[in-house]
Amino acid sequence: MSDLAPRPVEASSEQVGGASPRTWTLALPEDASAHGHRIDALLGWSHRFEAGLALVAFGWMAVAVWRFRKAPRATVAHGGTRRSRAWVLGLALGAFLVVDGTLLVGSEGYLRDVLWNLDVPARDPRTARIEINAHQWSWEARYAGADGRFGTADDVVTWNDLRVPVGVPVWVQLVSTDVVHGFSLPHFRVKLDAIPGRVNQTWFQAAREGEWEVACYQHCGTSHYRMRGVLRALSPDAHAAWLREAGRQAERVYDADDSAANWGWEWKAP
Amino acid sequence: MSLSSSDHKAVARRYLWSGLGFLAFGGLLALLIRWQWAFPGQPVPGLAWALPESHGALTPPTYTAVFTTHGLVMIFFAVTPLLFGALGHFVVPLAIGARGLAFPRLSSVGFWVYALGGALVLASFGLRLGPASAGWTGYPPLSTSVFTPGLGQTLVTVAVLCAGVSAFLYGLNFVVTVVRCRAPGMTWGRLPLTVWGLFFASVLNVLFVPVLAAATVLVLMDRLLGTQFFVAGAAAVGGGGDPLVYQHLFWLFGHPEVYILILPAWGMVGDFVAFFSRRPAHGYRLTAGAMGAVSALSGLVYAHHLFTSGMSPVLGRTFMVLTLLISLPAEVMFLNWLMTLWRGSVRLTSPMLAALATMSVFGLGGITGLALGAVATDVPLHGTLWVVGHFHLTMGAASFLGVFAGLYFWFPKMFGRALHEGLAKAHVLASAVLFLGVFGGQLAAGYAGQLRRLYDPYQYTYLRHLLPLNQWTTACAFLLGAVQGLFVVNLAWTLRRGRAADANPWRVGTLEWTCAPSPPPEGNFARPPVVLRGPHALSQPESIERLGRDWLGQAEDLPASPATATSPEAPVALTSGGAS
Ligand SMILES: [Cu+2]
Repeated sequence: MSDLAPRPVEASSEQVGGASPRTWTLALPEDASAHGHRIDALLGWSHRFEAGLALVAFGWMAVAVWRFRKAPRATVAHGGTRRSRAWVLGLALGAFLVVDGTLLVGSEGYLRDVLWNLDVPARDPRTARIEINAHQWSWEARYAGADGRFGTADDVVTWNDLRVPVGVPVWVQLVSTDVVHGFSLPHFRVKLDAIPGRVNQTWFQAAREGEWEVACYQHCGTSHYRMRGVLRALSPDAHAAWLREAGRQAERVYDADDSAANWGWEWKAP
Repeated sequence: MSLSSSDHKAVARRYLWSGLGFLAFGGLLALLIRWQWAFPGQPVPGLAWALPESHGALTPPTYTAVFTTHGLVMIFFAVTPLLFGALGHFVVPLAIGARGLAFPRLSSVGFWVYALGGALVLASFGLRLGPASAGWTGYPPLSTSVFTPGLGQTLVTVAVLCAGVSAFLYGLNFVVTVVRCRAPGMTWGRLPLTVWGLFFASVLNVLFVPVLAAATVLVLMDRLLGTQFFVAGAAAVGGGGDPLVYQHLFWLFGHPEVYILILPAWGMVGDFVAFFSRRPAHGYRLTAGAMGAVSALSGLVYAHHLFTSGMSPVLGRTFMVLTLLISLPAEVMFLNWLMTLWRGSVRLTSPMLAALATMSVFGLGGITGLALGAVATDVPLHGTLWVVGHFHLTMGAASFLGVFAGLYFWFPKMFGRALHEGLAKAHVLASAVLFLGVFGGQLAAGYAGQLRRLYDPYQYTYLRHLLPLNQWTTACAFLLGAVQGLFVVNLAWTLRRGRAADANPWRVGTLEWTCAPSPPPEGNFARPPVVLRGPHALSQPESIERLGRDWLGQAEDLPASPATATSPEAPVALTSGGAS
């Protein structure tokens, strides 16, 4: 379908959301991830099939109605012959195999290589790990500091502000403190529920520097629509520098007794 | 019409009026949602009396209550009751040649339980302090009293339970009636496809509505008794339950519900396409079998609603395969409809137009669902207006047009009066086009990433450029609402002074048209019909040769030769050449 390799890192910089005047086009949000192009290509195929099926069905219907409208009635002894029924079954099976088959095979490839393949972030020593705690109505993110462990004094915590390095896997583990939220990065083709009582995980990789939006897609109460965060994809150097400095500050203000602030967990193995 | 009558036709009329009422109510709520997305935060003209503090503008809490109520009113109190309560109650006994339903009192009780539920929904919406606001799916913990403490949410949960009880009761009633009360000679292979659709859907009601009842009762216990079935052990809450269990229970009901809503419409489309192409339905057995296959699979695909819930890859893959599989029988059925049209003698009556419109919107709805059935393509579209557009095409537009196909078809039988065909056709055609406008606009916005249920989508900068698209969609929606006036006018005018309907205006052979007067008396048939043939005996060589008309009653004796033709219907059919 398309190349399997992740997109190489690009250096361009974008404003938040990358909103451009594409008002009337049927276009996905701009793709900023290394693997999103595979989903996009599959969606593109799915839409070609959808258009094809619609064209055949409506064309057939329109022609039949137009051509046989008030046609002189013929005598008809039966509701189809063995042959005509075989045609129906054959056509249905053919359409099913091509259309659903493509979706199944393409989807399976993506699941195997990317979405459900946590080996990629687990094996890569450069992987950035983030723990996210969803609240009504904000995203609280935690980064292990210099010691590489979560739940220690140098953990960096941000609110509605995710910072990730470009060009390396970003591994997210996700919980919710209150209700079910939906963590989504529309520009990275990432979507995962944050559910109280369980840790969900996913990963992605930014293809270029820029700022993108974090959105909540599960109705989570009155201010659901304001549960907006920003994800900043930084160069690895800039990201490391930020994390170092933020970890130093975090250590200075650390309070072991503040149980609400110390919600991190030991990183869960996949 | 007596309110205590248990006659299936009286119960059907009760469901019809209340269902249409809730359809109007749910539709108005939908227009409020659309207004908010076109003109966020601006006062709605004429709403200042209800929302004085904001001068008629929707606030986030009102908006939340509005979309919650819209969803559950439409599903539980409008479309399901119209399909089953009104059309099902009316048609099933007549079409199978029964004197009534197997349990007449039960159907009457079912209506009153439904009416109680409807009253609770309206009451909850009137409460200033906390109407229901957890979405129609009511996911916990949001729907537990910790996060939605208002009385409204409790009332609505009880209301859904009431709707479920009534759905279970008529489902059970229909199943028993079709199995046990068919007229002599009405074999399974001679049932109209409408009855097949209603029968399968009733089986699904019986199987899956109890699952909804279980989920609802557990939520109620969490709300009222302090249990913690769905309250998980996260830091702030401290329970030991699991919110995800609710999602599985809900969708184990919720997905079959999609088929519960569409199977009766499928059945009607199958019948009407045959009736008004003046041909036997192509592949009758295949179509009935396909409906059965969809019903059998319907409970096995539900977890595609949970692809992004973090479910295990094994489950995800299994449900992906099963979900894609269900499109195969649907395609068989659709192709059979198309084959029936081909080389027919197509009469574009109002029920036929509505059936063709149902086919179109259902076809588009099904096609746009393909991308949601595979995990990888579901991820970017999940929770967006693409999903909303997709299920509104199938459950909303197709069920709605199916209801009106049925209503336009059986209205003369229900009330003995003929609706104005021109108005009916204009209503159907305009509705179908505008449905495509509204839900097509939703599909486009969803594809561009617009998430559902956002009070103000433009809080996200990446959605700001969608404002003109949303305004266009809203314009279509308001036009769609206005166009419903055509139906209201037609209905009011016909009931007051419409002309008396012919006994068999569509020239078809099913029992309700050939063996009972319009409207049928209590008990339906003077004597039980003895069924001799299937429902689509149209354009048969022997009926044209011996009777000179192109249809044969299901219980009609075919005279040996043209000379002995005695049916009083014969001359009418001869000169009119069928329905026009
Ligand atoms: Cu949220």
